Amino acid sequence: MSLLDKLEAARSFQDQLGELGVNAIGATIDVVGSATEGRIDGRRVVLAGTNNYLGLTFDPACVEAAVQATQNHGTGTTGSRLANGTYSSHAALERELAEFLGARSTIVFTTGYVANVGTISTLAGPGDVIVLDADSHASIYEGAKLSGAEIYRFRHNDPADLEKRLKRLGDRCARTLVIVESLYSMLGDIAPLKEFCEVKDRYGAHLLLDDAHSFGVMGRNGRGLAEELGVEDQIDFVTGTFSKSLGSVGGWFASRKHDIGPLRSQIRAYMFTASSTPSVIASTRTALQLVSKRCDLRVRLWRNSARVHSALKSLGFNLGADASPVIASIMDSPEQAAAAWQMLLDAGVYVNLVVPPGAPKNLSLLRCSLSAAHTPEQIDHIIDAYALVAERLMGERRAAVAGAV
Amino acid sequence: MATYEDCVTEIQKLLSEKVAQGEQVGEDVDLIEEVGLASLDVMELIEQLEDVFDISFPINELGDVRTIGDLARRVQQLT
Repeated sequence: MSLLDKLEAARSFQDQLGELGVNAIGATIDVVGSATEGRIDGRRVVLAGTNNYLGLTFDPACVEAAVQATQNHGTGTTGSRLANGTYSSHAALERELAEFLGARSTIVFTTGYVANVGTISTLAGPGDVIVLDADSHASIYEGAKLSGAEIYRFRHNDPADLEKRLKRLGDRCARTLVIVESLYSMLGDIAPLKEFCEVKDRYGAHLLLDDAHSFGVMGRNGRGLAEELGVEDQIDFVTGTFSKSLGSVGGWFASRKHDIGPLRSQIRAYMFTASSTPSVIASTRTALQLVSKRCDLRVRLWRNSARVHSALKSLGFNLGADASPVIASIMDSPEQAAAAWQMLLDAGVYVNLVVPPGAPKNLSLLRCSLSAAHTPEQIDHIIDAYALVAERLMGERRAAVAGAV
Repeated sequence: MATYEDCVTEIQKLLSEKVAQGEQVGEDVDLIEEVGLASLDVMELIEQLEDVFDISFPINELGDVRTIGDLARRVQQLT
């Protein structure tokens, strides 16, 4: 077996996806006209798969902040945070984020992926234990693997299954980091966080919450699921991203309970990569102010999500979870999902196509994510496009039943 | 504590629910390359074994498990 056999295996996987009519490296968006509109393959489409929950990517204040920062501070920092890559704006963002979260300190990273890999691999090490939700994001698995700790999985969103594992660990719970997410990105389901907190407290373990998808989206002030459930003080560590509700790119690590500042000189993914560009930091700081002030954006986001969820349910789609800004329709096969995705695109709606092994339990999904910026007309358009897909699928089912008879 | 044979039998039984002829799979057969399990199937198999034997199986040891025999030996040690 040669090292290069992997290239062949990857090519064969791409070919399989190609046969489904799917571009393995994703659709190319030619033009983005706003937070919710773009052009793909020459078609004007409503963007309904971008995680742009609050629609802030084109907010005039955020854009202006980014432009000003580029003019004043240049296009990049050309260095890591520990070398020349910490500008006063990076430090200001960390202070403002800590204030917003009520955290003792925060550390800002270049991406959310890097934040997870860096913090998890540093918090836990050989001799420690990581117990993670089976449906965790790839960055959590990677960070856990890199840590050298023993890793155990528990069944997705199942506090009783977590408890079984902590019980078996006994005294080692003091050296255990439990990792869960708030809102899961593929199926849009929400963690029973209160129950997870109770279990980890009962056994004396520590909890890291990846809040990538509920930050800015849940909680009265937008501080996420933990705020909504009133358990912020029970959570040891939180990671998150700027690339969803804040409309830019970057990651963060925070704690209300512990002083994480000293880890700055230990986290390799922080020390040995270039820091975020001044424009990214500037638009993020502006967006963060909007998250706390603009509750109306969250109201609109949830109203849009409820409308689409209810309509898709009525159309007969098998949905992955209760209403949330991520609405996943579970399709019968990768082929059916790919055909439905193309139909939606032809009807002017872009959603994410997820085929195995991209989703939990080898599911094939049409993953729609809503935005506060979607207008009522765009929501109608999304629902109409799904109705076309439903009609065709029902036609196919009727034909299959007739064929069987 | 379970015996090695108990573990092999249980793994074969669980495999029979996943692949045709699972109960016939020998101890030295490679779970991924020969049985054709995907990594997610292996994870699910481990979850089931954890329940049956009331153990926790570290997933960072999965790289060392290639055959039913490898898996049975490790499960037995953990019981």
